[in-house]
Amino acid sequence: MQDARPPMPSLDLEGARVRLEELVDRVALGELCQSFYALFGIAVRIYSSDGALLADTSSEHDVCAYVNSIAAGRAACGATVSSVKLTEPDETGMSVHPCFTGNAYRIVAIEYEGRRIGRVILGPFLPVEVQEVPSSFLDLDPSIDPERAKSLLVRVPRAKPETISRIAKHLRSALDLILFSGHKTLLTSQMHLASVRESYRELEERGKKLQEAFDKLKELDRLKSNFLATVSHELRTPLTSIIGYSEMLSEGIAGPMSAEQTEFVNTIHEKGNQLLGLIQSLLDLSKLESGTMSVRRETLRVEDVLGEVMKTLIPAARKKNVQLKLDSNGTLPEIRGDAERLRQVFTNLGDNALKFTRDGGTVTLRARATGRSGDDDEDGFALLAPARSMIEVAVMDTGIGIPVAEREKVFDAFYQVDSSSTREFGGTGLGLSIVKRLVEAHDGTIRIDDNQPRGAVFVVTLPTARE
Amino acid sequence: MAQRLRANPEAPPLVQLNFAGREVTIKLVYYGPALSGKTTNLRSLHQLTSDESRGRLMTLETRDDRTLFFDMLPLVFRAEGPVQKSGERSYTPSEASGGMSVRVKVFTVPGQVLHSATRRLVLQGADGVAFIADSQLSETENNAASFLDLRSNLKEMGMSLREMPLVIQFNKRDLPNVRPDAEVEQLAKRGREPVFKASALKGEGVLESFFGLLHLTWTRLEAEHQLSRSLGLEADEFLPVAARKLGIKRDVQSLLASCLGNGLNPPPREVK
Ligand SMILES: Nc1nc2c(ncn2[C@@H]2O[C@H](COP(=O)(O)OP(=O)(O)OP(=O)(O)O)[C@@H](O)[C@H]2O)c(=O)[nH]1
Ligand SMILES: Nc1ncnc2c1ncn2[C@@H]1O[C@H](COP(=O)(O)OP(=O)(O)OP(=O)(O)O)[C@@H](O)[C@H]1O
Ligand SMILES: [Mg+2]
Ligand SMILES: [Mg+2]
Repeated sequence: MQDARPPMPSLDLEGARVRLEELVDRVALGELCQSFYALFGIAVRIYSSDGALLADTSSEHDVCAYVNSIAAGRAACGATVSSVKLTEPDETGMSVHPCFTGNAYRIVAIEYEGRRIGRVILGPFLPVEVQEVPSSFLDLDPSIDPERAKSLLVRVPRAKPETISRIAKHLRSALDLILFSGHKTLLTSQMHLASVRESYRELEERGKKLQEAFDKLKELDRLKSNFLATVSHELRTPLTSIIGYSEMLSEGIAGPMSAEQTEFVNTIHEKGNQLLGLIQSLLDLSKLESGTMSVRRETLRVEDVLGEVMKTLIPAARKKNVQLKLDSNGTLPEIRGDAERLRQVFTNLGDNALKFTRDGGTVTLRARATGRSGDDDEDGFALLAPARSMIEVAVMDTGIGIPVAEREKVFDAFYQVDSSSTREFGGTGLGLSIVKRLVEAHDGTIRIDDNQPRGAVFVVTLPTARE
Repeated sequence: MAQRLRANPEAPPLVQLNFAGREVTIKLVYYGPALSGKTTNLRSLHQLTSDESRGRLMTLETRDDRTLFFDMLPLVFRAEGPVQKSGERSYTPSEASGGMSVRVKVFTVPGQVLHSATRRLVLQGADGVAFIADSQLSETENNAASFLDLRSNLKEMGMSLREMPLVIQFNKRDLPNVRPDAEVEQLAKRGREPVFKASALKGEGVLESFFGLLHLTWTRLEAEHQLSRSLGLEADEFLPVAARKLGIKRDVQSLLASCLGNGLNPPPREVK
């Protein structure tokens, strides 16, 4: 079934419900009628098709005033006016309606796109052929004075039928223009509104779909992390036994072993430890991803952490004949963080640096205080950056370096620049993904630069402790 | 007032019929990619029809001649049978006389991709669609993308392409680097929609496409609402009457004959 969507905005672009009232500005229409009245002396009234009076150049002719001063005249006049109002023009679009006084009205249909939406009433005017006051006027009431009636009647503007037709035609074409531009304006504003609504509706729908997809992904991610955590745990328990027993065996606790046996058991022990490291990494990663890794916030000095890291790295450096240096000048501001996790960060980076640096190379850990951080085009950078004080730790090597195109990807889990290199360098590609998450958990950033003339530099920026 | 009839209650409303007011409103929409010549088609149609039957061409909001909302050309005539052979009278539509007034309102949509919402609004309630494609080879992808856009917009309104009377026009035949005639003909033969070639700028193929679409649309409406009965016409008289009332000098059959492919004579549709 269709899901419940908000409906599209409904529009009447076909003009099915177009009404005269909506197309014209009444004031402008009034002015138009007034100008016709001023030009020809013939009154103009405009009605919409449902009978609403939209414009009227009302000014009473003397003869009408006279008629209205007599009771019978008033009644007859009222009857005529309402009959005029109700007259539907014939199929030519024009009709004449006589008045008992001898005057006449012309009723003209207002059409728009082939549909009648109102009418114009021109008059009263005095048809040219009327020379005498008709009996329908004189017989109305004995008090009517024929002389007076005649003198007043002839003051009504005389018009030939062609003249009236011409006036009506002019008025119609002027009205036509007004109606067209009125309709255009109406449609334009309706379209403006409807387009905004429709665009909004579309965005809202897309937003909803994205949110649903996002929620689903998030849930999958959570399940995956849970799964990983459980599995890692289940793997670690038996593995610790393997490592423990192989260690005891190699120590001779279960009796003496031949040199070959000892070598085999030592290999089991070493690989067991490697596997445990890998599982630990996976567990770390899943914890970081699920947001369940706890990062402590204690005040600490980066130099202390780096000192610890140096100690861990020295044996490997010696073995590879790589020179290892620590460079930190002066005292650095303290930072807030988790010493154990930071040690993990820099050990990982140091491990990598040693791994990808050949015999005779150098790996340097360098710590500096720096004022700047953030993107140059960040909003309000000029104000925000000076307010920040940071510590920058660079792990620099003279190894194989990392091509620019790979510098984002190496932080993805399991990504290795040259996967065939696993044979040469080993590893699983988890180290940097953990490093990045840990750095970010400290509100820091990590980037990769070139070292000169060769090698890579991993730059970790961490905020300093604030009061 | 005017009521929109439905073939089935689920389907969106189609033609507007107003029996009391004795009028039929047919909405045709010119769809297609940006700059394919939709507005140009309407301008030519305006020029090729007679003064009495057509209203002003309304162009709503443009920027650099690109349509932002829509263009609209109203064509209004009175249909009443039987066809008078000579001594043609010009009628002013009126509720008093017999017959019905037929209002064909032709719209164009804005082709630019970003005006998708507006396209949907204009397409709403269309009785037939002319798809104006740009024949230039370089526009092949844009034509296809716009067609998919039409399909998804119709779907959004609960309509399928199959239900919609549709003709395809390959416009700008006068330009170099267009898909060759033979290829267009081949495509037309294989496709199910009627295809017309046009150079809208020169007015060529414009009436052909329009009457092709009117024919399909009318056939569809006739099948569903037996409109010709209310007009007092024979079913096959509508098109000639329309052409005559619109001041078209050319014979309708010859206009329709320029259609490529067989799409103009669809097998009878089942009406649910
Ligand atoms: N050579 C040639 N040019 C044409 C033809 N038809 C239209 N054009 C040109 O193509 C350009 C775009 O035409 P329009 O009619 O404005 O296109 P449109 O489809 O309404 O475009 P949008 O309103 O942006 O959707 C104009 O410069 C036209 O002159 C044609 O048959 N031949
Ligand atoms: N200092 C470096 N010089 C050159 N390449 C590096 C350096 N550090 C990392 N890389 C590249 O980035 C990849 C990912 O590093 P990462 O630490 O995530 O994984 P790994 O060292 O291969 O395996 P793991 O750390 O899980 O044992 C490495 O395989 C290597 O291709
Ligand atoms: Mg590593
Ligand atoms: Mg356009």
